[in-house]
Amino acid sequence: MGLESQLGDNIFTTTIDKFVNWGRKNSLWPMPFGTACCAIEMMATLASKFDLSRFGAEAIRFSPRQSDLLIVSGRISIKMMPVLKKIYDQMPDPKWVISMGACASTGGVFDTYTLVQGVDGFIPVDIYIPGCPPRPEDLIDAVIQIQRIVEQESVSPKRRRGAIAS
Amino acid sequence: MSEAQQPLAVQKVQEQYPDAILDVSDARGELTITVRKDVIYELMAFLKNDSELAYNFLADVTAVDYSLMEDVLMKYDYARFMVIYHLLSTEKKERLRVKVPVHEKALSIPSMTSIWKVANWLERETYDMFGITFEEHPDLRRILMPDDYEGHPLRKDYPLRGRGERETFNFEQQNA
Amino acid sequence: MHKDPDRVPGEPMTLNFGPQHPATHGTLRIVVELDGETVLKATPHLGYLHTGFEKLGEHQDYNQFIVVTDRMNYLSPLSNNFGYVLAVEKLLDIQVPKRCEYIRVILAELSRIADHMVWLGMGALDLGAFTVMLYGFEEREKLYSIFEKTTGARLTTSYTRVGGLMRDIYDGFEEDVRRFLNGFPKTLKEVHTLLTRNRIWMDRTKGVGVVSAEDAIDYGFTGPCLRASGVDWDLRKAEPYSSYEAFNFDVPIGANGDVYDRYLVRMEEMIQSGRIVRQALDNLPDGPINVDDYKISLPTKEDAYGNIEGLIHHFKIVMDGHGVQPPVGEVYCATEAPNGELGFYIVSDGSGKAYRIRIRPPSFIHFQAVPHMIEGGMVSDIVAVLGSLNIIAGELDR
Ligand code: SF4
Repeated sequence: MGLESQLGDNIFTTTIDKFVNWGRKNSLWPMPFGTACCAIEMMATLASKFDLSRFGAEAIRFSPRQSDLLIVSGRISIKMMPVLKKIYDQMPDPKWVISMGACASTGGVFDTYTLVQGVDGFIPVDIYIPGCPPRPEDLIDAVIQIQRIVEQESVSPKRRRGAIAS
Repeated sequence: MSEAQQPLAVQKVQEQYPDAILDVSDARGELTITVRKDVIYELMAFLKNDSELAYNFLADVTAVDYSLMEDVLMKYDYARFMVIYHLLSTEKKERLRVKVPVHEKALSIPSMTSIWKVANWLERETYDMFGITFEEHPDLRRILMPDDYEGHPLRKDYPLRGRGERETFNFEQQNA
Repeated sequence: MHKDPDRVPGEPMTLNFGPQHPATHGTLRIVVELDGETVLKATPHLGYLHTGFEKLGEHQDYNQFIVVTDRMNYLSPLSNNFGYVLAVEKLLDIQVPKRCEYIRVILAELSRIADHMVWLGMGALDLGAFTVMLYGFEEREKLYSIFEKTTGARLTTSYTRVGGLMRDIYDGFEEDVRRFLNGFPKTLKEVHTLLTRNRIWMDRTKGVGVVSAEDAIDYGFTGPCLRASGVDWDLRKAEPYSSYEAFNFDVPIGANGDVYDRYLVRMEEMIQSGRIVRQALDNLPDGPINVDDYKISLPTKEDAYGNIEGLIHHFKIVMDGHGVQPPVGEVYCATEAPNGELGFYIVSDGSGKAYRIRIRPPSFIHFQAVPHMIEGGMVSDIVAVLGSLNIIAGELDR
């Protein structure tokens, strides 16, 4: 990138890291890729009772170019997968992916001719949420786990995407 | 059933198209007629336009692949598919099921799009899932599966898990 | 189409609306050709959520398929469960106990309210009324908690069984439902004050996406969309099933068949559903909830643990290929789901699995008319029209 790649590891960049990550993690902009039933629970998470904005992730952007967190919620068919891939490719780095629900993660109860058996065969996934559909609390939990991953990011390309543990 | 007891729809169709009806059944209170393919278009138009029957509403079009049901196959001269129409008369509150045997060798049937607009997509879906073509359909394309998909998933010889399309689909296909 | 004679016609522009678009609520895609802001031609594409339900139905036994019906119209899973088991029961030619019928009606009507609430919220959100979405979801959350207590799940309920229900309602169900019934008309009233006479709302919905009564029948419309066009057709009245003839309720009818009328019809339907639920609660019969036939529904726990026959029956029902086995035949059973006529056509070959299951999805059929409704209109009308039809992708593509 720019300046930060010249600087290397020193106290200056690590402080910037902390600052940038603090900002990033508390203002995730999700791109909801909701296709099926899980999307309804995702909407419920955003609505008044569960209110995802308590965690700074309520700025839903339907444009991939403005968002950094992709939430894949719902069944992905072989007709949809190219679209999803394209959307993932359009998102600017750094980006994270949540695979919400059994279908997005593994195909769920639908082991049929048309469903992709897990989006992780095609795009990298950071957090999987089990459940069919997962409860809104589960989605909130996943967002918090993403925040932990974000904390470990770095502006320096050498240290980007370090050990991911939650 | 003797002639006198036949429901009105059957009587009228029999009058109009004397040997079109192959079978009549009234199981579970659902009137079903099985008719020959060559008159189906006129017959459906008749069912819709006749003022006493007035089946003005086409509820559903679908098909069944009977290749694993030996007795049905035998009954209809080994016609593999059966196209099924569900009609409804909102005025008389009656329903009627019309079944048409279709042979695999002549896998086509007249389209009903000019009688009911709703038939358009329903027929496209039947084409997509079974490969039955509808003659004079304005826009017969695949509807649910991708355009470059091979095979017709609801046929009985198509495996539930597909033939590997799930892993090897064409990433670049983005139908314009 | 160009009313202005001085206007220089330019190249039409092609716009890809979806499949990932906030107003598509899922995975619809419409390719529209535009002249300025006027829609010249619209071509819907679908299948982005095709899951193979019908194929799956041929490989699962009759009770297993209930799980799949949940995931079809996920705004009102209980109505799908209900419609499906009715079809299987018709195939088996059995009559479930009155108490079961009433409970099913209560839950189906509550889920109609839940469905319309989301429709209201999302439809209004698309047209810029954010508050209404929060209102709608708040009411829905209340229903969710009732459903969760009753069925064990918020959304994927799988509550009905062939020949009965998964379990009886919980103690206190009645109070919870009555509390909800007393509360939700207030929300609707507030929504009425927010929207019904609102200038912006009226401008964007009146005269938009008009479907005449003849066209509605020609396009196979059912449910609120058909009634908004002025056709008095409700399966609950026309072909009463599951004791609907015992309830008093009105069927709201629109006049113009535009988005505004569809909005009004749905709003009124929620009130009527509330009436039905009240009557059903008042007259809820006592008694068993399952048919008294251990070949169809699971024996009680005491029987399964207490005597060998019960144990065998329990075992057989859940064993692959020994469960419910309807006689050879076929059946089409239609119910009035929140979106319209939801039909199940089942062909049985006498085994424990259906030979063919066909679902007649109202959304699929309504979506077909979208080009008819938006061609000649403005781009922004697409959103209003789609919102008013309440197209559920899961049901559309199956
Ligand atoms: S995981 Fe379950 S709830 Fe989520 S999309 Fe799949 S079937 Fe629907």
